[in-house]
Amino acid sequence: MRRRLFSLMVAGLMAMSLVGCGGADGAGTSDSKGAAGSGKSIRLVNGKIEVDPQLKKLAEMYEKETGVHVEIESMGGGIDIQGELKAYYQSANMPDIFVCGGEADFNNWDGLLQDMSDQAWVSDTDAAYVSDEGTVGFPYTTEAVGLAYNADILEKAGVDPASITSPDAMKKAFETLDSKKDELGLTAVIGYYAEPVNLYWSTGNHVFANYLDAGLDRDDTTYIDMLNDGGKLDDKRFADFADMIELFNKYADQALLVSGTYDQQILNFASGKYAFVTQGSWIGATMTGDDKDAYAEAGNFKCGMAPYAFEDGIDTILTNSPSWWAVYKDGNVEEAEAFLQWLTTDEAQEVLVMEAGFISPYKSCSYVANDPFAQTISDYTAAGKTSAWHWLNMTDGYAQNYTGQVFADFASGAIDKEGFIKIFKQVTEQAYAK
Amino acid sequence: MSSNKSAQAVASIVVLLAGLASIIGALIIDLMRFELPFRGGLLVLGILLFFTGLYFIPTEKHHKTIINIIFLFPLLFCFAVTVIIPFGLGLFYSTTDWNGIRMTGFVGLRNYTEMFKDPSFLWSLIITVVFVIINMIVVNVVGLALAVLCTSKIRAVGFFRAAYFIPNLIGGIVLGYIWQFIFNNVVLKWTLDAFNYNSSMLSRYNTAFMAIVLVYVWQYAGYIMMIYITGLTTVPKDVIEAAAIDGATAVQTFFKIKLPMIASTITICTFLTLQSAFKQFDVNMSLTNGTGSVQNFMGQYLSNGTQMLALNIYNTAITKNNYAMGQAKAVLFFIILSIVSIAQVRISNKREVEM
Repeated sequence: MRRRLFSLMVAGLMAMSLVGCGGADGAGTSDSKGAAGSGKSIRLVNGKIEVDPQLKKLAEMYEKETGVHVEIESMGGGIDIQGELKAYYQSANMPDIFVCGGEADFNNWDGLLQDMSDQAWVSDTDAAYVSDEGTVGFPYTTEAVGLAYNADILEKAGVDPASITSPDAMKKAFETLDSKKDELGLTAVIGYYAEPVNLYWSTGNHVFANYLDAGLDRDDTTYIDMLNDGGKLDDKRFADFADMIELFNKYADQALLVSGTYDQQILNFASGKYAFVTQGSWIGATMTGDDKDAYAEAGNFKCGMAPYAFEDGIDTILTNSPSWWAVYKDGNVEEAEAFLQWLTTDEAQEVLVMEAGFISPYKSCSYVANDPFAQTISDYTAAGKTSAWHWLNMTDGYAQNYTGQVFADFASGAIDKEGFIKIFKQVTEQAYAK
Repeated sequence: MSSNKSAQAVASIVVLLAGLASIIGALIIDLMRFELPFRGGLLVLGILLFFTGLYFIPTEKHHKTIINIIFLFPLLFCFAVTVIIPFGLGLFYSTTDWNGIRMTGFVGLRNYTEMFKDPSFLWSLIITVVFVIINMIVVNVVGLALAVLCTSKIRAVGFFRAAYFIPNLIGGIVLGYIWQFIFNNVVLKWTLDAFNYNSSMLSRYNTAFMAIVLVYVWQYAGYIMMIYITGLTTVPKDVIEAAAIDGATAVQTFFKIKLPMIASTITICTFLTLQSAFKQFDVNMSLTNGTGSVQNFMGQYLSNGTQMLALNIYNTAITKNNYAMGQAKAVLFFIILSIVSIAQVRISNKREVEM
């Protein structure tokens, strides 16, 4: 009898532990359901980890104002956000608002995103992401890709950045700067890095973006359409582009060309050691943030952007939304839309522009960021000299798994220009064969 | 007495059936996607009722079996939920065109045939095998050498043991980044000064491969050393003494006495390195992330010169957004690893019998 009682007790204990697991589980789901039902909480997955504190501040402001709690979940630093989101989707843990980077991302979530065409902010911007399902992407910033330069150094060397609109002019400018390297205190003319492990996105996406779009009208999709049609490259245009890369390789910082990191690249540019750098407007935040001291020491020089003029007459820089925020259809749509709408109001825009350094895509926004590149971008925009960018529509993994390595091989001298063109074509076909 | 017993039998069967019904009910609610909050509770309740009923069934013959089932159930349940069911789902997904969010159709075995036509995957397979063979030898030789060193009578043996073991305590990702810094900054500076060679070791697949082997051996040899030390210290002193009296040299003692005595340790260490080298992922990812170009492999230029199998699977699924193909590769990976494991169990069993 005693033994029986004992075994019963043990069985009971085990059963209780089972109930414990089950109970916690049940409570967990009903909890989130309850919160969603009462509409007091939304969750946003942000892909720009550098603005995490500013977004959290906005969330706090919003909670104070409306009582709705906004949870900011920032990802970045090498995390594959789409992969992470898929895991969330599998475990029925989707955020209400999440970041989407372009056509491939939006196509993945086809049918799961809320059409926001009826929102008030839509008429206030040209940068919303519109798919055949309607307006599904909320733009929150504008970024620009151009050949960033140190205006002070160019002035000292007597190079007029406005003259760089042809390959010859670019070459001449590089040669002039190279001959005065010592007196200008330059390590190299251009901070072009082709490291393939952590910086493939710079060469494979942003530099290559100029092959796709530089000099074109905003709605001109000739080259991206060719590329997406089974991986075709325009021979003439790509050969010109390769000439420019060869020039970059020649005048780059040889010690860091194939192995440097993003941090080194920006730090050296901010310290005035490079006259040009092949990065976009986002480095402004790094220069005035992490590299503040070096930048101040170099005299807080003026910055600007020249076009990547690898063909005669290219006179535009590329500006676009780098990514969009989409609203998950089965999430808390109403509150999510209300929050996005609120983000376009004056007080929210002030934080986004003045503190997070965003360049607002909204016409009603009157703030101009205190960013080294804000002026040059608004000049180009005002003059109508901008092209859109379409590299977000390239096939998945194109830069990371295919072209980033080819740029690195060209930089290290493993292949010459002919090899670069040939292999680039070959890997493009491979990438699009799947 | 007998009416009492039959009443108990009826009651227990009723309870058992009620439990079964609520389990099935809960599963139906879940599978039909009704969002009812009590479905989890219902499932647990059903399981409890089922086992209560099962426990009180008045049978002498099967009572022991029933108790065994009840006690095994929690473990089996967890095993099923965390291993068996996901594995089945994985097999299922590998025959579809799933992209991580939804599937639109079945492709049969196409994923399996396609992957063998892909040179970059074959390359990954080959270098993984090469990596495994190199590491199996190098890690064991280095580990054993260190173990011999750390069991000898040199001073500060404790310090050396700790020092060789510490790399193993650093996580692979961190370790990869540390060594990446070393290769890209320190080693590069040497090569630039000495040969005016501007690319780091990590930028060519052959030198990058060597770099991964180096880091891996550095990380893993200390761990293997610890196992060998344990093996070496269990070699009986009297045997060694006898050998010394017979006039054996230190080298002879090592090869003729110690090595045969630790044969089982060698088997364990060999398979340990084999398995872990095969599953190599973290150092590979953080050190080179699979980059490094191969100019011509089966007539193609490859950009994944140092991408090993595990990383290739991850990359296929995550960056190339092809989850179904990644899943198919993972199934192949599982098959290879289970063959290795079965071989290991067979061989170690055989040894144990011999000893």
